[in-house]
Amino acid sequence: MSVIHSVEVPQPTQHGAAGGIMRRLNFGTGLAGGIGLAAILGIITSQFVPTGASSPITFAPIEGDLVYLAVLLGWVIGFMAGMGAFVGPIRWVLGREQTHEDAEYMAGKDMGKGRYWRYTTDHKVVGIQYFIVTLIVFGFGGLLAMLIRTELGVTWSEVFSPSFYNAIIGTHGIAMVIAMIIVISGPIGNFIVPIMIGARDMAYPRLNALSLWLLVAAVPCLISSLFLGGMRDGWSAYQPLIAQAPSGVLGYQMTIIVFAISTGIASVNLMTTILTMRCKGMTWSRTPILVYGIFAASLMGLYAFPFYQYSQILSLTDRIFNTSFFNPLEGGSVWLYENLFWLLGHPEVYVILIPSMAIMMELIPVFMRKPLFSYNFAVAGIVGVVALSGLVWAHHMYMTGWAPAANYPFMLSTEMISIPVGFLVLVVIGTLWRGTAWTRLPLMAVYAVIFNKMIGGVTGVYLSDVPADQYFHGGMFVVAHFHYMLMGAGFFGAMGGIAFYFPKMTGRILDERLGSIGLWTTFIGFQFTFGSMFVAGLQGQPRRVLQFDEQFNISNWISTIGAYVIGIGVLIFLAAIVFSWKSGVVASGNPWGSKSLEWQTPTPVPLNNFAVLPVVTERPYEYGVPDPLDAELEPAPEEQLESAGTR
Amino acid sequence: MTITQIPDQPESPTNRPPSMHRFRTWLRRPYARHILIWTVVIGFLLLPLAWLMVAAMNQTGAPASKIMEEIEQTVFVFTVVSIPITAFVFAVLLYSLIGWKQVSGDEPPMQESPAIRTNRIGVILWTFASSLLAFFLVVWGLIELAQITANSYGTISADQQPGDNNSVIVNVTGQQWVWTFAYPQHDGIVANVLYLPVDKPVYFNITSKDVIHNFWLVELGVKIDANPGAITQTGVTPNKEGVFNLRCAELCGMHHAYMETEIRVVSQEAFNTWTREMGGMRTS
Repeated sequence: MSVIHSVEVPQPTQHGAAGGIMRRLNFGTGLAGGIGLAAILGIITSQFVPTGASSPITFAPIEGDLVYLAVLLGWVIGFMAGMGAFVGPIRWVLGREQTHEDAEYMAGKDMGKGRYWRYTTDHKVVGIQYFIVTLIVFGFGGLLAMLIRTELGVTWSEVFSPSFYNAIIGTHGIAMVIAMIIVISGPIGNFIVPIMIGARDMAYPRLNALSLWLLVAAVPCLISSLFLGGMRDGWSAYQPLIAQAPSGVLGYQMTIIVFAISTGIASVNLMTTILTMRCKGMTWSRTPILVYGIFAASLMGLYAFPFYQYSQILSLTDRIFNTSFFNPLEGGSVWLYENLFWLLGHPEVYVILIPSMAIMMELIPVFMRKPLFSYNFAVAGIVGVVALSGLVWAHHMYMTGWAPAANYPFMLSTEMISIPVGFLVLVVIGTLWRGTAWTRLPLMAVYAVIFNKMIGGVTGVYLSDVPADQYFHGGMFVVAHFHYMLMGAGFFGAMGGIAFYFPKMTGRILDERLGSIGLWTTFIGFQFTFGSMFVAGLQGQPRRVLQFDEQFNISNWISTIGAYVIGIGVLIFLAAIVFSWKSGVVASGNPWGSKSLEWQTPTPVPLNNFAVLPVVTERPYEYGVPDPLDAELEPAPEEQLESAGTR
Repeated sequence: MTITQIPDQPESPTNRPPSMHRFRTWLRRPYARHILIWTVVIGFLLLPLAWLMVAAMNQTGAPASKIMEEIEQTVFVFTVVSIPITAFVFAVLLYSLIGWKQVSGDEPPMQESPAIRTNRIGVILWTFASSLLAFFLVVWGLIELAQITANSYGTISADQQPGDNNSVIVNVTGQQWVWTFAYPQHDGIVANVLYLPVDKPVYFNITSKDVIHNFWLVELGVKIDANPGAITQTGVTPNKEGVFNLRCAELCGMHHAYMETEIRVVSQEAFNTWTREMGGMRTS
């Protein structure tokens, strides 16, 4: 019985040991459940569908499709059941609500390493789990990138069949998009943000675990699709080409449907946490900028992902039930699909970019020992990007002939985005201005991000402009541009963020030497790979081709060599992570001398984060001393008054 | 109630120096001066990009139409306009890393930097400059887009296109993985290589039989999707004879990479000869 204000609050009674059935469920039972149910549903479906049944539209055999769909559904549901995702609602129906002891068990109290393999609700465990999943998805996508560059570097013959090549470019695209979306919001958003705002956990701990394990369930769907012919239409999966794809495309569609649910849950959770659980005194002007960034990304994700999910559900029904949302032969519209897809597509790039910008603005004050330059401007920049992000999607459709007259307003709104993004650039260079650079690995990553971000941003201006886009659309220039943004800014920003928060998350410091070698190797390889891709684009090479005219050979060779250098660099960085995690220098609670809340907790962070909930009394980033150069100019009158007042 | 008499005299002097003096004082600071110098140097180093980019675009004979000329002009102008701002950011970036103060070591440095929270003049200048730049880009883009739309004959539907001798109509069909060009004015002759007479407006009616293709006349600067179930219109006036590239710029399946053909822009006489050889009776 708890006593609040002398009123006894009845608590649910404890049945048996804390945790109940959850004590028996872990990743192993999840795998067993997933594989078991997938097998059962697959066998049942194959019994019910007559052999040789075919689609009345495309005359393609449909049995494989239905069996694969049943297997995928069985996998997702069985895996989630095996993990214990449905235990909470079932217990509620049975009237055995969760007790405090149950909640503590589920948060992994005194459990040791086993909690990383369970449906653990502690946000710190979820953050680490997200980190591992990100690495797996990223490794998968990176491997495919190496295959793509190998094919394009071998200009004298075809290494892969055209179908397999098309499958790997599409799967590489979606794997990397998923990895980049979660790379900051997942590990850092879950592990760091609640501590940063002075909360004990996320607002909905069980939803947190749900979003993570849904993501885990989606990964095998994606990987399996590659073995069933893959989705051969780029990650955009445009109709009606996707209708010709083999069954593998269902894996992609199931991945997106599950991933969108996972992202939606995670977004709601993060937003609620940030809105309601900031500690006392953390007003909006005292909230660190990373929190704004994660909030903005969650908001945009919540807005954008449903479009993607609907488009894939409709695409799926077109395939399975012969609906005709997108089939022009039956009155559907290919432009409808394009619109739905890009309604996701453009906010999605800001879902990736804004957290990386926010991480940058979080790191620079610490390593420059200066306050963030123009905090209000940084917030205004983020708000501006969020506001405009939903209004620019059709700039991906300038050349589709959908609505030539709409090109004018969409060009206007797209170029407007350069203003709020410019605010963020000003904040960054203003904070670098006259700071003493503490040249550690995270700051080096920040420099890499700004460099790449400038190139990506400027080349984005060409693409936002309809006349220039008329040449660049669908070419390698676009590929180079978005890799500069998503990888150059997003991935390098994530490297910086991981290096910065590594001591807090793992209790050890990321090896500076090995990490720096990895970072700079990746950076140099990156410039060669995507710099020469700009040249190929200017020369007129279309994207998603596996053979091309001889004039593009040289830039593609350079690009491929650069890609291998990236591969080596990333492996070195990965080695730095693995070795430091196992046997790095043990970190103190606040190795960077940061002033924000997450560094004031001990390392490793206790289950409750804070013994006593903190109270924030000043703005973030209160570093630095009064500017000595101000004495050279005259002191402003109001400052004289203030200093007179303090005396 | 007492009324204070305000003496009629010029404003009392303040110790705030005139703005030019403030600017000069600011400029005397080594940091400000160095960054301005670095900006100029980096800017000049980047300037060749404007020509190099256009040179790369011209590698195979572009520009072969007014549209492509305008596209290249846009690329050139955008490069030149974006160089100062890029150079400034790079200058701050590099100078703060290797030109100003730097510390390393495991412990957070004790030496604290100046607490510059904001700078009203800097913020206003930046906002003003970036808005002006965005405004310029938008206006330039809108004007160029209007011109290009005019030069590509907008979206004139098939029944309104002039069928006279002063223009050529080509019905383009994309299918996996070949382009087909039909010339309805010339008894519907059909070819897989795009023959065009020089200096004569061409109207394209583009569609697809199966999936989305993209009709890209590389050196002519024309690009538009070929959609199944819809006809898209565009056009161009080639102003240079030669052999140019036509590529598909939208992934369209297995042999997308090989879905390319030639554009032969020839003189009017050669075009007439070609149409007669292909079996078209009517000459234009």
